[in-house]
Amino acid sequence: MRQITYHIHRYNEGRSYVQTYTFDYEPDRTILWGLQKIKDTIDPSLTFIAACRSAVCGACSIKINGQAMLGCESKIDELAERFGSDEFDIAPIGNFDVIRDLAVDWEAKVNRLKTVAPWIFMKPEYTKTTATRQTPEDFKKFVMNTECILCGCCASECNKLSAGREDFLDPYVYTKANRFVKDSRDDAPMAHVNPAFENGLWKCVHCMNCISRCPKHLKPAKDISELRAVATRAGLSNKGTRHAVAFKQDLMKTGRLNEVTMSLKTDGLVDSAKQGLYAMRLWAHGKINPLELIVPHKPVTGIQGVRTIIKAAEEAEK
Amino acid sequence: MEQFDVLVVGSGGAGQRAALEAASREGLRVALITKIYPTRSATAMAQGGINGVLNNVAKEDTIEDHIFDTVKGSDYLGDQDAIEFFISRCPECIKELDYFGAPFSRTNENKIAQRNFGGQAYPRTCYSADKTGHVIEHTLYEQCLKENVHFLQDWYMLDIVKADDGSVGGVVAWNMKEGRVEKIAATAVVIATGGAGRMFWTRTSNPYLSTGDGMAACFRAGCALKDPEMVQFHPTGLGKSGILMSEAVRGEGGYLLNNKGERFMEKYAPSKMELAPRDVVAKAIETEIAEGRGFGGTGLDAYVVADVRHLSKEVILEKLHGIRDLAITFEHADPLVQPIPVRPTCHYSMGGIDVKDFKTCATVVPGLFAAGEAACVSVHGANRLGGNSLADAVVFGKVAGEGAIAYVENNSAKNAEKALNDAANAWEAKFKEVTSRTEGRPIAEIRDEMALAMWNKVGIFREASKMEEALATLNKLIEEYKTCYVGDSNRTFNMAFVNYVEVGSLLTVAKAVVLGALRRKESRGSHLREDFTKRDDANFLNHTLISLGEDGEYQVGQSDVVITRFEPKERTY
Repeated sequence: MRQITYHIHRYNEGRSYVQTYTFDYEPDRTILWGLQKIKDTIDPSLTFIAACRSAVCGACSIKINGQAMLGCESKIDELAERFGSDEFDIAPIGNFDVIRDLAVDWEAKVNRLKTVAPWIFMKPEYTKTTATRQTPEDFKKFVMNTECILCGCCASECNKLSAGREDFLDPYVYTKANRFVKDSRDDAPMAHVNPAFENGLWKCVHCMNCISRCPKHLKPAKDISELRAVATRAGLSNKGTRHAVAFKQDLMKTGRLNEVTMSLKTDGLVDSAKQGLYAMRLWAHGKINPLELIVPHKPVTGIQGVRTIIKAAEEAEK
Repeated sequence: MEQFDVLVVGSGGAGQRAALEAASREGLRVALITKIYPTRSATAMAQGGINGVLNNVAKEDTIEDHIFDTVKGSDYLGDQDAIEFFISRCPECIKELDYFGAPFSRTNENKIAQRNFGGQAYPRTCYSADKTGHVIEHTLYEQCLKENVHFLQDWYMLDIVKADDGSVGGVVAWNMKEGRVEKIAATAVVIATGGAGRMFWTRTSNPYLSTGDGMAACFRAGCALKDPEMVQFHPTGLGKSGILMSEAVRGEGGYLLNNKGERFMEKYAPSKMELAPRDVVAKAIETEIAEGRGFGGTGLDAYVVADVRHLSKEVILEKLHGIRDLAITFEHADPLVQPIPVRPTCHYSMGGIDVKDFKTCATVVPGLFAAGEAACVSVHGANRLGGNSLADAVVFGKVAGEGAIAYVENNSAKNAEKALNDAANAWEAKFKEVTSRTEGRPIAEIRDEMALAMWNKVGIFREASKMEEALATLNKLIEEYKTCYVGDSNRTFNMAFVNYVEVGSLLTVAKAVVLGALRRKESRGSHLREDFTKRDDANFLNHTLISLGEDGEYQVGQSDVVITRFEPKERTY
């Protein structure tokens, strides 16, 4: 008889350990079914959370072999084939505090979500009695973001959150903020952008784990970059926006980056000076040339083409 | 001890809408307790839509038409005064959701889109693709966050506590994270804990959460359960898992086919075809299967198929893409290229806590209100129309919130300290006793035997002899439950203990379902008796009331159905 084995990372009242459970294989079953089977027939103390078992409620997210997934839609057959094994490593999702076994603390995440004012500021032309108006095209612009089920899979393997949760929000929070920014009915997009800007919008390390983990195929990292664009256009200023603006100016002017002025424009004189030793090393390796401060680049061959592309991109953004 | 003016129990559409209403009133202390993160409720699983006459698509639709469709859909068991009140308030509540930011799909005139749904004369079901419940649930949550509703999350209600004068005094709840019993004093309590579909365990579209906790607690507190036998079986659960496949599949024009490739609805509802109400379609599917025209035999694995391949790819990808994902994941069937196996699945409790005043959602216990699927107003009677449940949740959630506010303004807080202490001490002792048992029948076995008895003997087709067997099984299980094995004595997040209490709730409500089904010697709506195949208005045009007698025994009674304008007629589609 084929057997399925779960190695479950358990935690209770300060004690962490891995416990192994083995049960009979059945075809076409889910990882969640296996957890329920263990709880029902082997160990009632195994603790996990689940509700809808149809991938819409977001309760049963767990790490299976190191990757965050919804237990209810993850098929044992498919995973056994993908990983080439009937043994699975099951752990709570990452970057959450664990309450017990696979149950994590969502309550601690509520205030982080509230940071970005996750509710609509309805335009004054609409009222409760008239309802709102929106074109089907405008509806399509943000509806994808509303499909977030708050499962936390995007946060689980977020490299920035793993390095520190204090100065960065969970990826789904930016997706939520962008949901309102992109909603044509919202009257105060900056009420969502500003707090995102203040809370780590430029700290994303572009690992894209949030995109690859999202069971609903949402793109939190893309939402982060869209929010950055809105912040930059709105004239908000930090190293991130200044870097982006300087980048564009250089390309427009010469088609090449001027690394020296780039640093000055992005970091300012004081912070740039602090990196003097680093700059010397770059100079020594021919990566930058301080003379560029005085003698600017000549425009590259084909600069007109570069400028046309930038203008076309600006046009498309409108 | 926590102290609130209004305490809401449950975080689905009705609960959050009630809390939002109460929280919008200056100076009221409002809290909502929920046994899981607030957005994980059954409401979030509703797919197809929410009904209201907005005339965005069908200009000729009227409130009157929606009232009539609902009365007829209920097989005349719904109270017509309550239905009129309910339907009249649907449009304003939907527009309000839109104003709260709910992302509804749009018509070409930029208004809320509306589609066809079963048993209705016009396209009046407002939708957001096939995720309508999900977006409503999340929108309400956003508004609750905005209004700073005080969520007591991962708190599980154990019992409703009454003050000396018989009015509500609060609840005792299990703080799951801390592992202790909490006392919550409250002047008004709104129960919005959802249905009890888990009595059928896996053959249901309901989440693990739908365990009838509020129904059972209100039953113990002195409320009757009204029409508990009225359990809706959604015709198109996915074949293997019972997971919901939205009525939108039929609404957008999908066919139901038997193993001969026939659109069999022709025989059962020649004019409405696939768009007949749920009870009619569920009965048709089960009849096809029983008579050998299903796939996969006639047993538990049998099914018919839903076919949408004749619809345009755009319709499937834009309006039905959520259920396409479900069909691919859970049935290995891509609706674009092959039919989807479907079979009825337990979906909704039309019956529930007996609401005495539909204008406030008040129950027989002063200060205790009930709304949503947990309650029975009754607006759904013997069969609920698709799209009327989200409407019920937001309309009566709001009404219950208003009712609770009015009650709090006219009544001072009752002293229930002693009763709360007694209840808390009793539950604390109970926790220690049940979780320290080292033997007894495992709780999961009791649950599974209950579910099997309910599906096989009190399912879609019912008859007295089988239901008597189910009743005997339930009585046996209720005895075994008293000494059952829970198997986890830890304090922190003890889900085994929560599951134990949940199974207790399910047994309590399941017994009421069977007693109600035995009493009703007729076939009406979703209640189909093989031994009484006709509707019997002379004897059963009335509500079942199951209550708890002072001797601790179940009492079976009845009350009148309110008929105002629509005299019962034969129901054909």
